[in-house]
Amino acid sequence: MNNTVSHKIVTNNPAIKNKYDNLIFVEGSYEDVLFKVRDLVHTGSELINHPLGASIRMFFSPYRSIIIREDNNLDNEFYINAIETSIETYQKQMELRTPDTVNSEDYSVIDARLLTSALEEFERIYN
Amino acid sequence: MKLEHRRIHIKDMQIGKETKVVDGVLTINEEELIKCLKEDKKIKEVKLDIARPGEKTRIIPVKDVIEPRVKIEGSGNGFPGVSTDIAQLGDGKVNILHGAAIVTVGDIVGFQEGVVDMWGEGAKWTPFSKTYNLVIDIVPVEGLEPHNHEAAVRLAGLRAAEYVGEAGRDVEPDEIKTYELGSLAEEAKKYPELPKVAYVEMLISQGLLHDGYIYGVNSQLILPTLLHPNEELDGAVISGNCVAACDKITTYQHQNNSAILDLYEAHGKTINFLGVILTPELTTLKGKFRTCDYTAKLCKTLGADGVIISEEGYGNPDSDLLMICERLENSGIKTVLITDECSGRDGMGQPLADTKKEAIAVISTGNVSHVVKLPPADKVIGNDRAMETLAGGWEGSLSEDGTLECELNAVIGATSEIGYHNLTVKLY
Repeated sequence: MNNTVSHKIVTNNPAIKNKYDNLIFVEGSYEDVLFKVRDLVHTGSELINHPLGASIRMFFSPYRSIIIREDNNLDNEFYINAIETSIETYQKQMELRTPDTVNSEDYSVIDARLLTSALEEFERIYN
Repeated sequence: MKLEHRRIHIKDMQIGKETKVVDGVLTINEEELIKCLKEDKKIKEVKLDIARPGEKTRIIPVKDVIEPRVKIEGSGNGFPGVSTDIAQLGDGKVNILHGAAIVTVGDIVGFQEGVVDMWGEGAKWTPFSKTYNLVIDIVPVEGLEPHNHEAAVRLAGLRAAEYVGEAGRDVEPDEIKTYELGSLAEEAKKYPELPKVAYVEMLISQGLLHDGYIYGVNSQLILPTLLHPNEELDGAVISGNCVAACDKITTYQHQNNSAILDLYEAHGKTINFLGVILTPELTTLKGKFRTCDYTAKLCKTLGADGVIISEEGYGNPDSDLLMICERLENSGIKTVLITDECSGRDGMGQPLADTKKEAIAVISTGNVSHVVKLPPADKVIGNDRAMETLAGGWEGSLSEDGTLECELNAVIGATSEIGYHNLTVKLY
C-alpha cells in the first residue's frame, strides 16, 4: 500500500480548507493546531513534518499546517517528544509576542506554499 | 583547486554615464543596468539608489546582498546554473569590487523584515552598513505569483552583480588573497600529523522564501554534498531565503563564507581542512534523519577527526544541527557547533528549540531576541511600511519621533551563524 494515501493535514489555514480531502481543520490558532497534533500523536499518529517553522518570523504566523500519518504500530516516542518540545518552544517564544494578524493573508499564502513543498518532500522521501 | 580573490578596494559609489572603476570610485550607468534587468519580462520597474556608510539611510525590506565580481581567468563567470551557463567553479582569478554590494529589496510578502541602517546604532549591528550599497528595488508586473516574484528579485540581484562586476575586469587589484587546496590524499601527505577537519554548512531548504541553491539546484532536492571550499568562494551557493533576517546567509556571505576563510587560515598550521559539506535542512522528520545520517557518513568517509557545523535559521533546523552533532560525537568525531540563540530579552532562556547532551562545544553568534533602538532615518530606501511589521507582532514600539524598538531578529546579518557579522566576545 502506498502510505502517502493515509496522511492527513492538520491546519487552521482557511486558504487550504477546501483544497485537500484528507484535512482536519482546526478552528483556532497556531497553538491550537499544535495541541490537535499532540493529541493525534499521543494516540498513535506519526508526525511527518516538523511542527515549527525555520525562523523566528514564522512563529508570528497565525496559520500552520502539519502533516501526520496514522500508524497504530508505531513506536512514536520520538514524535511525542518532538511535538511536546515544539509546544514548549512555541509557548516560550510567544510569551512576549502575538501573532501578526496584519499580514494574515500573506502568512496564509506562505503557509500554503510551504505545505505544498512539505507534501512534495513527503512523496519523495516516504514510501 | 586554486582561486585568487583579487580585491579592488571601492571607496565610493556614484551614478554616472559609464559603468567603471577609477581610483576606487565605482560609477554605474543607471539606464544601462535598468535596461539589462528589465530584459526579464516579470519585472515592471526597477528603481536604483545608493546607500553609503555613515549616511542616515535605512534600507528595508532587504531580500539579498550580493558582491559584484568578474571572473577574469578560469571557467564560470557569475553564478553558473542560475544566471549563466553551467561551469565548474573553484579555479582561476576573480576581480572583486571589495567594499561594494548589491542589495535587493522587494516586498514579496508583507511580513518580510530585514533592515540595514547605514549610520548610528543600527549600523553597529549589520556588516552591510560598511559597504557601498547599490540598492535595487524591483517592482514586478501585476498579478505575479509570490514564487515567481521571489525568483525575479533573486535573479535581478545576481544579474546586477554580474553587470556591475564587469567594471572591475581590467582594474589592477589592491590586494590578492589566494585559496588553494589539493586533493584529500595530497593534503594528508603534506600534513600527516594535523587533525583532519571538515565543515558542514546547513542551508534552509523548505520552500518559498526558505530556499538555497547550489549551482542552481534547489537544495531541497539534494542529499548532502561535498564541495571544494573554492566553489563556494567562487559563487556556487546562492540564497533564496528571506524570512530570517538576522541569521539568513546572504549570497554575499556565501561568497565570503567566514567559516571557510578561517578554516583556510588554520589549514596547514593547526588543522588539515578537508572541505565543505552542504547539508539541506528539510522539513519532514524522515528527511531530516536521512540528511543527518548521510552528513555523518560523509564526514566518516572523509576520515574527519573534527567537524565544524554551522546552522541557518531557528526552530526546526535546531533538530538537524543537534542530530548531526549526536551522530558524529557518537562516532568518535569531535564537533563544534555555530549557531545563534533565541534566549529571550535577558538572554537567560534556553537558546535552541532542541537539546542534546552531545552538544558540548557550541559557539553562539548572538541573541536574536536582544532589543535595539533604531532612530528615525532621513531617507528610507524600499518600503517604510515594513517598519510597521517590525514594530508589530510584539510589544516593541514605534514612538512618535519615529524611533523603533525591535529585536535583532529584524536586522540583516546581525547574528550570522557562519560568523560573518559584527558581534564578538570580550573578556574583562
